[in-house]
Amino acid sequence: MPKKTKHRNALLRSENRTAYLCLIPSIIGLIFLTYLPLLEVFGLSFFSWKGNGFDTFQFVGMKNYVKLLTTDPYFKESVAVTVYYTFIAVVGSMIYSLIIALLLNRKIPARGFWRAIFYLPYLLPAVAVYLGWNWLYNINYGLFNFIINRVFGWPRVGFVNDAKLVAPSLALVAVWLSGNLIVIFLAGLQNVPRTYLEAAEVDGATSWQRFWNITIPCMSPIIFYNLLMALITNLQVITPALALTKGGPGNSSRFVSYVLYQYAFENRKFGLAAAVAVMMFILIGVFTVILFATSRSWMFSEGGDD
Amino acid sequence: MKHKKFLALLLSVLMLATCSVTAFAAGNDVVEITYSYWGTPDEAASVQAVADKFNSENDHIHVTVLAIPNEEYTTTLNSMAAGNQLPDCGIMNENGVLDFAADGLLADVSSMYDGAASMPLDSITFKADGAPVAYSAANEILFLYYNKDMFDAAGVAYPDPVTPYTWDEFVETAKLLTLDGNGNNAASPDFDANNVVQYGANVDNWTWQLEVWALSNGGRWFSEDGAECLINTPEVAESIQKVADLYLVDHVAQFRDGLEDSGIQSTIAAGNVAMATGGTWNVGTCMNNVEFPYGVAPLPVMKNEVTICTGGPQVVFAQGEHQAEAMEFIKWYTKEENSWDSLIATGIWMPILEEYYTNEELTHKWVDNDNFTMGYDNFKTSVVDYAHDYAVSTCWYYVPHTNEFLAYLRSILGDVWTGSTTAADALNAGEATLIDIFNGE
Repeated sequence: MPKKTKHRNALLRSENRTAYLCLIPSIIGLIFLTYLPLLEVFGLSFFSWKGNGFDTFQFVGMKNYVKLLTTDPYFKESVAVTVYYTFIAVVGSMIYSLIIALLLNRKIPARGFWRAIFYLPYLLPAVAVYLGWNWLYNINYGLFNFIINRVFGWPRVGFVNDAKLVAPSLALVAVWLSGNLIVIFLAGLQNVPRTYLEAAEVDGATSWQRFWNITIPCMSPIIFYNLLMALITNLQVITPALALTKGGPGNSSRFVSYVLYQYAFENRKFGLAAAVAVMMFILIGVFTVILFATSRSWMFSEGGDD
Repeated sequence: MKHKKFLALLLSVLMLATCSVTAFAAGNDVVEITYSYWGTPDEAASVQAVADKFNSENDHIHVTVLAIPNEEYTTTLNSMAAGNQLPDCGIMNENGVLDFAADGLLADVSSMYDGAASMPLDSITFKADGAPVAYSAANEILFLYYNKDMFDAAGVAYPDPVTPYTWDEFVETAKLLTLDGNGNNAASPDFDANNVVQYGANVDNWTWQLEVWALSNGGRWFSEDGAECLINTPEVAESIQKVADLYLVDHVAQFRDGLEDSGIQSTIAAGNVAMATGGTWNVGTCMNNVEFPYGVAPLPVMKNEVTICTGGPQVVFAQGEHQAEAMEFIKWYTKEENSWDSLIATGIWMPILEEYYTNEELTHKWVDNDNFTMGYDNFKTSVVDYAHDYAVSTCWYYVPHTNEFLAYLRSILGDVWTGSTTAADALNAGEATLIDIFNGE
């Protein structure tokens, strides 16, 4: 072996060692704070435990899962509600943030100011946001109902008090909160090659044709990323239920995460709550796999299929 | 080198200091205990002041107050229980007491009133299989608050302090006190239900409070011995429907989703409702800030005259090492004189000992002060006597799993308040699950 290569190998080995050394803290963190708890949750889901001492675990096999899928009064409805809410929130926030990003990408006056304004909601504390929206939505004293009832004289609208309106009403808040998607879309828009757009313009393409045939395909990896992030975040939704609706009216905003919270921390049924967590993991996994599988047909990648 | 020597010296000094502090602490026999309490940091400071009084009188126990926000109290205690980290003692939400007791998380309280001259009222003693497991720290009952200005303006006589309204009289009075934007009341043919500016009545539909209407209407949620769930009966369904109809049919009440304890802060105390049901605690927590004169009266009656009583108990948790010391503090704390100024004289708590309800001298001591702005006579007849003669235990004193039971009941009643279904249909649909939860499944 030539001396030079040997030296390079030694250098690589030493670099590798350093890399592994630097990675140790995060690997320890991942193992003890993520993977082991994950395994524990999975294990716990086969037990019944009321949180009263570590010697009171009772093995129940698949009972928790069977209960969730058969007699549980909340779980099945909570999955439907969560998927429904997620659908509205994801579609709404993708369209909203893409449109806002397109507008903010144009040369408008005080562009920095407008960008800050649309990003701002994302920075606000979540509970404060929902309390604020409660003042808009409240059926008795909310601003929206003041306008609807007092100004126009129409009957009051139940927004978060109406089983049919609660999911769309909460999804609207999620859309309003999607400032982070706008920022990522903006970054993506700035990377759409100007030469393509100019060439298309010279060839007489309309602005819609340029948007549809150039901007969108060039943006597809960004759209995919935003879609994935929005999907996962919204499937895990819990804050509006905790801060605003307590899962109601009825079960119409009882999201899966809220059922988990309810079983674990209100009812001390930790085994059942762990089973809900595992089911939620599977639910998010299924949607993620579907998204990845379909992305091949619509995602345009300049670098090819690496 | 010099640096190394210096460092070694510094470390030795620190080590010595640590050892001596530890030795000193070990030699000192003060037992540290924690007491958990719900409330804001301000409230916690006043409770810590009470604990400090105890600390100054005791040289072997030191109590530190752990304040947990009210809305997170149950969930925090549950998490602490799971981590084997419960405080030594504390106040508890009523709906978790029997479950905590059943799961071995509460210490035995049978010695709590050993040798005491007066015992706590039986109606506020938590019992499992007939044996006491905890005593409420306060007695709280439900009754009717009313805004005198609104009655005067409508030319309607005040509710009688002794004889309650029948339900129909209550609804009719509420109609006279409900006004639309044009000044028409709800009894007028010109009344515009879409433009109400003042409501006549609000009956709190926060789930646990609905039990009183079942009892009032001749029904029960559970049998008296707590052995049977009887919630799906025509009497119970009718009692809930009547409460819902105040908004849906009679248009005398605001819409309330029943999802959280928003109390009377958003109704009578906000100045837009003439009559509202509420608990005794409201005398000291929000009605003390209202700017209008108000009075109190017994609850309206559907069939039987009744109210329900409740109150979070002071408990010793069974996970701590210092249960005897914790019990000593709790025994001291539950003596009325130790929570007198901050809680009883302000009207937030009613005393738990029977003598305050039967010995008028003691009643005077309790009620004759400026915090009871409705006057001694009004409070004595409409609350003190009412509590003594007509209050029965809320179900969580003798039925387990009420936290889960009430949560599910709340979820099925959501559609009743909006009028999408009836109380009878909701109870029919939910009965099987309610019974499962009652049976602990």
